[in-house]
Amino acid sequence: MKRGHLIALVVIALLVGALMVTIQDASTYATFELAERKAPEQVTVVGQLDLDQPITFNAQTSMLRFTAIDKDGQRCVVYFNQPKPTDFERAEEVTLTGMSSGDTAFFAQDILMKCPSKYADEAKLSAP
Amino acid sequence: MDYIGEHTFWALAGRFFTYLAFTGALGTALFYGVNWLRPGACSGPDELGRTKAPDPAYLNAGRGAFALHSLGVLGVLGVLLTAILSRWFEFDYVWRHSSRDLPIEYVFSALWEGQEGSFLIWMLWHVVLGWILLRSARSWEHGTMTVVGLVQLLLTSMLLGVYVFGAKIGSSPFTLIRELPENLGLSWTTIKDYLIRIPAFRDGQGLNPLLQNYWMVIHPPTLFLGFAATLIPFAYAVAGWVERRPVDWVTPALPWVFFGVGVLGTGILMGGAWAYEALSFGGFWAWDPVENASLVPWITLVAAGHVMFIVKKKKSSGGLTAILTFLSFILVLYSTFLTRSGVLGDSSVHSFVDLGLNGQLMLLLGFFAAGSLLLLLLRWNALPKNAADEAFSSREFWLVIGSLVLLLSAVQISFSTSIPVLNKLIGPDGLIPILGEAMAPPADVFRHYHSIQIPVAIVVSLFMAAVPFLRWDATPNELLRRVLPSLAVSLVLSALAAWGLKFDQPMYTVLLFTGMFAAVANLDYWLRYLRGTWRSGGLALAHLGFALILLGALISNGKKQAISQNPVFLHKDFPANEHILLPLRDTVSMHPYWVEWSGERREGHFQLYDVHFYGTNPDQTPGKKLFTLSPYIQLNPRMGNVREPSTKHYWDRDIYTYVSFADMRSSDEKASGWSEEMVATMGRGEEVFVFDEFMMRCDSIIVNDALMVQETGDLATLDMTARLTLKHMDGRRETVDVPYQVRGNQASPGEAEFPKLGVKARFEGVSDEPGRFKMTFWRKTPEEQEFILLQAFIFPYINVLWLGVVLLAIGSGMAVAKRLAGPKAAPKA
Repeated sequence: MKRGHLIALVVIALLVGALMVTIQDASTYATFELAERKAPEQVTVVGQLDLDQPITFNAQTSMLRFTAIDKDGQRCVVYFNQPKPTDFERAEEVTLTGMSSGDTAFFAQDILMKCPSKYADEAKLSAP
Repeated sequence: MDYIGEHTFWALAGRFFTYLAFTGALGTALFYGVNWLRPGACSGPDELGRTKAPDPAYLNAGRGAFALHSLGVLGVLGVLLTAILSRWFEFDYVWRHSSRDLPIEYVFSALWEGQEGSFLIWMLWHVVLGWILLRSARSWEHGTMTVVGLVQLLLTSMLLGVYVFGAKIGSSPFTLIRELPENLGLSWTTIKDYLIRIPAFRDGQGLNPLLQNYWMVIHPPTLFLGFAATLIPFAYAVAGWVERRPVDWVTPALPWVFFGVGVLGTGILMGGAWAYEALSFGGFWAWDPVENASLVPWITLVAAGHVMFIVKKKKSSGGLTAILTFLSFILVLYSTFLTRSGVLGDSSVHSFVDLGLNGQLMLLLGFFAAGSLLLLLLRWNALPKNAADEAFSSREFWLVIGSLVLLLSAVQISFSTSIPVLNKLIGPDGLIPILGEAMAPPADVFRHYHSIQIPVAIVVSLFMAAVPFLRWDATPNELLRRVLPSLAVSLVLSALAAWGLKFDQPMYTVLLFTGMFAAVANLDYWLRYLRGTWRSGGLALAHLGFALILLGALISNGKKQAISQNPVFLHKDFPANEHILLPLRDTVSMHPYWVEWSGERREGHFQLYDVHFYGTNPDQTPGKKLFTLSPYIQLNPRMGNVREPSTKHYWDRDIYTYVSFADMRSSDEKASGWSEEMVATMGRGEEVFVFDEFMMRCDSIIVNDALMVQETGDLATLDMTARLTLKHMDGRRETVDVPYQVRGNQASPGEAEFPKLGVKARFEGVSDEPGRFKMTFWRKTPEEQEFILLQAFIFPYINVLWLGVVLLAIGSGMAVAKRLAGPKAAPKA
């Protein structure tokens, strides 16, 4: 066997290894129900804020507590141990990365908010 | 119909220039292409062995067409710039990306904020580079310019904004808002003077406040120049492979590759500098998909550049070189697709508007990917045959291995970044549903990328250190010994650094050593073996620069220290976070400093928070004042407020802070002591639940006095009172009367307080529903100390990184200069 082939094999093996690691590391998009079943595995939940429920932020512990609604319409209390993001209430969609506590709450480690298009809509032209 | 105040002439001019650019690109591709692909002309003898000289008429036509194309691109840019500068908000692009108060220096940022604008700047660079290519390519002009024309044709099509059989082709930056599909047929579009009548047209949406930063003025054009630079090697590679000259094309393409490496590398890290200065990411690199998408083509371009030397010297590895060169350009297109198609919406802080051009973007990408693949398959047997393997001790062998390692790194980053794309393809709702559940990007991106990219960086830096000392063909053993001094020096240096900086993670420590080795070895190589000459120093300096980038990134990130700590203990599994609470004018310990927040002030759009840093005395009390940082919040009512950091730079470390939380209520609201404003509509006898703990009841509405104007029946005077009863859940109750008066046209809402329960009500007026009234309620804000939350990091030795970027740029520039200066005897290694 030529050395070139050997190198090709090694490269392919490394490549497969790297991709396996990636797939291993990938988290899953889940609903709150799935997150609960998978706890304590890290998942990603895409949902909306429930603006009818209180959004409270305790500055002493910098703990944010709010309620989110997932794509199935299920509500869940979310704790986020970080300062409240600016204009949090205006987010039209939130992507929560974290894990379910196993019963009633979801602990988010990271929150990605989607906003800008909403402002565009607000400013959309209306007929006089 | 003629609308008043519209600049339809300019819209027409813009469209005209777009079509001119399109036609020009078509002509370029066509005229050059005919000359190039005619059997027997540039691409070698025809099947009967005849050769023909290129037809000068076609050549001139091709050049003329490219001139027209260039004029078109410049015209489009000129008109768009005029529209933004003149604030013509009837243009959708101008309205979406700029506003009246946009400072002049950010007009360019507004120009390239949107998709159309970024395509334009990209095309402009293609035009500029295209002219240099046209004047320098000589016999390659036909093939390369055909490719440039073809690429420009497809890029210009992204700006056409026409509908063909119902399919949208491109999106024109000159579309008027009233011409947008969603507005067609709306009643306001038939008003002649709608621009004056509708307030929304008086001002635009404004530029995203995140982009109002000087780095954002220079980062996109630099990045796009780097992107554009990948086109030229691509064009040479295509020309070379079509013409069955898979070795010859490398020599003229080499300077372009290193030009691209330098510019793209600088551009990427300018983005990092922007993220570091304007974003509260807490660092210069976040493995964000948009950053990754620009990094990956750079990695493959670097790999391509290195194997090109093998092709040039040894006439081997031609296949790998072509693959990497094709890949670099295709990955640039892919990067555009990723960032512009909206597919990353869930996974990136950069969110882009989907213009509905995904199909077209995918066609563009597919065309070049499939074309390159086809070319490789059709012409693979034109490669020179090499019977013998490269020797283990040869430079070419390790260059190949090195570029494969880089390719591996690029594939992994691409794959992880493409998870949202994979979902679209094979996810549960994708085209071919293979996956049971959708994949999400890794929860801890840093851990994920570092687990693979740090070993890659270790291997790459080892190669950078040792391979320059190897010779082509084979290296005698005594030459290998030349690397020993730098090995010894870097071992000592990295041991000292690891001890001084308290490195404890084995992987980081190894990278610290290999990075140091790469830096020292290349310095040594340049000073001792190349005698420190400028002409030949490109390789060593660029390697040194990249080694310093790795070292700077490693030390500043690996030893990044969060000095702000929240002292409140929550739970052992839920660590306290890294945000410190700063009460107003209170001096708080933030080891190794004491900090005091002295208040907030307003400067234009910025709300600044002055934080004074004091040293710590030996007895742990606050020492003398060292410096003041003013992190700020950029106020933007339209797009949301943005927290911006403030950093104190020392030569060996940065102290980086930003306000992670501040009470953003207006000072009036804070001073009045009333907050949590809520609006309710009430009728007599109705109850509403307020502030989660009270029940508000409207007992009665009493009209005390009402006078009508006899002739018209309008109200002249009205005096009325609403009697409200507020009940707390614990049984406390309080009743007050809220007045409301009308005098002619003047209505004066009355207010009343519930002093015991701490609630205030205002009678706003009648509601649209008969018999109901609008009320606003506030509750008393408890007396509280004003505070902010602050996050502070120390980034040690981050200047090493920036120095590395400068050296990489200079080194690449010198490499380009050397190739341009022509083939002189290279110094012996």
